[in-house]
Amino acid sequence: MKIEILKEIIKKKSSNEQFAVLTNLSNGSSEIYKTGIPLSNNFINYKNDIENYYNLKKSGLINNTEILIQNYIKPIEVIIIGAVHITQYLIKFLKDLNFDVTVVDPREYFTTKQKFQNVKIINKWPEEFFKNIQTNSNTALITLSHDPKIDEPALKYALKKKFFYIGALGSKKTHDNRCKRLKDEGFNDKEIDSIHGPIGIKLGGKSASEIALSIVAQLVSETNKYKNF
Amino acid sequence: MTQPLIDTILEEAIAWIESDKQVVLATLVQTWGSSPFQIGSKMIIDEKGNFLGSVSGGCVETSVITEGVELIKNKNSFKKIDFKVSDENAWSVGLACGGEMTVFIEQIN
Repeated sequence: MKIEILKEIIKKKSSNEQFAVLTNLSNGSSEIYKTGIPLSNNFINYKNDIENYYNLKKSGLINNTEILIQNYIKPIEVIIIGAVHITQYLIKFLKDLNFDVTVVDPREYFTTKQKFQNVKIINKWPEEFFKNIQTNSNTALITLSHDPKIDEPALKYALKKKFFYIGALGSKKTHDNRCKRLKDEGFNDKEIDSIHGPIGIKLGGKSASEIALSIVAQLVSETNKYKNF
Repeated sequence: MTQPLIDTILEEAIAWIESDKQVVLATLVQTWGSSPFQIGSKMIIDEKGNFLGSVSGGCVETSVITEGVELIKNKNSFKKIDFKVSDENAWSVGLACGGEMTVFIEQIN
């Protein structure tokens, strides 16, 4: 592979673009593919298959050929409400798993640089934050502030926008009360049941890092069930 | 998961080249049976046999490193390597899981 192509792949990866790398294993040539970019002579004969694999975001050798396609997809965006202790561990796990993370907390004194390096921190109330960003069903929401004033506006937004994963920290009692309030606001049972609460799979742990692990395990499991990426 | 684990191997490859190493990139291109890694898993190898990353979780790494060093030594630009359990070498490279895989190795230049 030419070093120029390698550098281009790195550039595209870091700007979160969707693209594919094509390699012809019979002559070693590689090129970058995106919708709208014309194919070179090395690949033009496989145009239909390449487009098909690209649209399905499928990687591998194209049926019985020597053409390899590797799809690079946009990471899934995870929005965490609440810059609490659990959040610090959660960010580490999420980054290793290639999720794109944004932490929202209006309380600036919770989000010091010491605690939160190399992560997007937004010091806004959730209502305000969601006004200025684009989300879609590939977005996940994790609420951890434990304060209904901060968590619930975000939950309502995520329910309306049908995020593929919504999880809320809080005991069973806290969650039951939360569900009642959402019901009073007009959300139906199906919508309310789509919230993972109390958040996380049962690991039995109580420490911040163990809770973060149980949350990330649930998120990964739900991500694998959800096939529309 | 369709999104790969975070993968900085290509960035490492550039760093190696910039420090005057010769680099071979190995990519897992096809698997059959119970191979553990996903297509596109990568490893880099230099002329001395130093390596980073993984294409199989350990089963065929040693063999891929040897092939990578050979590729540099023989000044070849690429090679496709098939690992099969029925192969005589299968036990020596550790493909005891019954899987089969194809790894593509290529020089970066």
